[in-house]
Amino acid sequence: MGKLIEELKQDIQYQHGMNACLNCGICTAVCPAAEVYDYSPREVMNICHQEDEEALIELLKSDKIWYCGQCFSCTPRCPRGNSAARVILALRRLSIRYGYFAESEKGRQQLFAKRVFGENLLKRGLTLLATNITPQNFPELGEFWEYYFEHMKEMREWWGVPMDLENSPGSHRIIPEKDMEELRAIYKATGALELMEAIEKGMEKKLGSKEEVEKYWQTWLETGDSRNYQLKKEKEEDK
Amino acid sequence: MKVARQNIHWENHQKHIPTVEEEGGRVWGCFRSCFLQSAAPYTEGIAYKILKNDLGIDLREAPGHTSCGAIGYHGDVTKLETQMVIAARNFSVAHYELGVDNLFSFCVTSFANYTEMIQLWQEDPQLREYTAKTLKETTGRDFWIPQVCGYPSVVHASDIFYANRHILAAKAKYSLKGIKAVDHIGCHYAKIFPGEVVGGCEFPRVLVGLLEAFGAEIVDYPERRHCCGMGFRNCAFPENRDYTASSVYKKLSSLKETHPDCDLILTNCPGCTVFLDAEQGTIKEVLGVEFNIPVMDYAQLTGLLLGYDPFKDCGFNAKVVPIEPLLDKIGIPYDKSKTPEERRRPF
Repeated sequence: MGKLIEELKQDIQYQHGMNACLNCGICTAVCPAAEVYDYSPREVMNICHQEDEEALIELLKSDKIWYCGQCFSCTPRCPRGNSAARVILALRRLSIRYGYFAESEKGRQQLFAKRVFGENLLKRGLTLLATNITPQNFPELGEFWEYYFEHMKEMREWWGVPMDLENSPGSHRIIPEKDMEELRAIYKATGALELMEAIEKGMEKKLGSKEEVEKYWQTWLETGDSRNYQLKKEKEEDK
Repeated sequence: MKVARQNIHWENHQKHIPTVEEEGGRVWGCFRSCFLQSAAPYTEGIAYKILKNDLGIDLREAPGHTSCGAIGYHGDVTKLETQMVIAARNFSVAHYELGVDNLFSFCVTSFANYTEMIQLWQEDPQLREYTAKTLKETTGRDFWIPQVCGYPSVVHASDIFYANRHILAAKAKYSLKGIKAVDHIGCHYAKIFPGEVVGGCEFPRVLVGLLEAFGAEIVDYPERRHCCGMGFRNCAFPENRDYTASSVYKKLSSLKETHPDCDLILTNCPGCTVFLDAEQGTIKEVLGVEFNIPVMDYAQLTGLLLGYDPFKDCGFNAKVVPIEPLLDKIGIPYDKSKTPEERRRPF
């Protein structure tokens, strides 16, 4: 048995998500991602079941494991008690640890997850910030959201949910520094920082340098679409 | 008695949530939602007003509690170990600093996350030991597991509205008589731990019970349990959001086909509350298809019926789908001397 298969089988998410898949396809029938992407949780479960190291590596390098929306619609419907969404959690962490995530377009988006969710948690103790929900990135929220965004502080006071209060419970509060120190210590001790660092390193290896990673990040910040960044290989093919 | 699937599920999926008239239902510790406070802050605002003013609950919340981090977990930047210790820290803060035993969260993903951690600790003493030890080493705090009516668990804010639905309905100024409505339950409320859900994941009672208490007629449609398409990395990065819009389109097309006269969709998940509404705008712009179905959460609806202001209290001024036609149908007054823009732009 291959090394990665062994490692996957050690993951508690894998142990809890994979019992014995009978390949009935109910998970795929109810999966929102299977509806819109070239994606099938049944296929993912099948590849894991085969315990074929090469097929697993190919899966970890592909877009497929990143299509799942983590809704867990597959989970209560499985007649054998499997959870494809849970298996996906294990596969994604394995893909990040080995840098395979950077081989796919959807996988490379982990840089945004790290720099938005991860950094928010480490800096503010909140996974999402009010300033993340910009009208530019969320145009579907409409013209009244634009108005709110321009008058954020006043609007939140008007609604009775003032923001950024210090040493106070409440919406979008400033979490005291001593609590933030505890949070950061937890992130370090439980390996979350290591996981985040693996994302930065994997991107650097794939794109060639730290400068290129910053270019990729800037492209996303400016255009909201990482596909506007051209990989070196793609650039050469264009020539 | 006719044995329908509903009966079977109902028997298997009941949990006791104390009302404000019972011991253990008057004091609650609560956890904020990072999604709501960023994308729909008014919903927590109106929920607070109702829980405190109308139900008289002593709500306790520590300044030092943090996000549960589950968006980072399902967004793949944290680990299971991280989630366990952060959950334990938030529980410890609530119990030892605020003196509460029972807790609820405003976010369904937090609800699922905390439920997952509590169940893991119950099932696996090694994980419990790891968590307690790491919590002590990193924060100096003591491990503690929350309980609702003596059962190791947390509940969701919508569970408290459900438990107290008859008290709320008795106080309501307006009724939903003649209104057709349907629930949309958050996936992370119902699908990860169906055993922790009032009514289970296919026939949950939590929102339907609230709607019925207010007098609404419930409609059903084929894609009722399909996900709204929030999908974490799918809604968070604009280049993936066709996933979200497509899911909303699939759901609402199914609803319109089956019940074109459905007046409202009631939600209990932050993601559904935001995206089922917002993507109707995208669909209108891209496909020219108009659904115009108001989407609101349990607190916004309860607020409207208790007589709170639709805009200042319930926050309907930040939504995509106009609320006025529904207000007219229920008979809720609002300032008609102002234009829709004026009602939505107070400054």
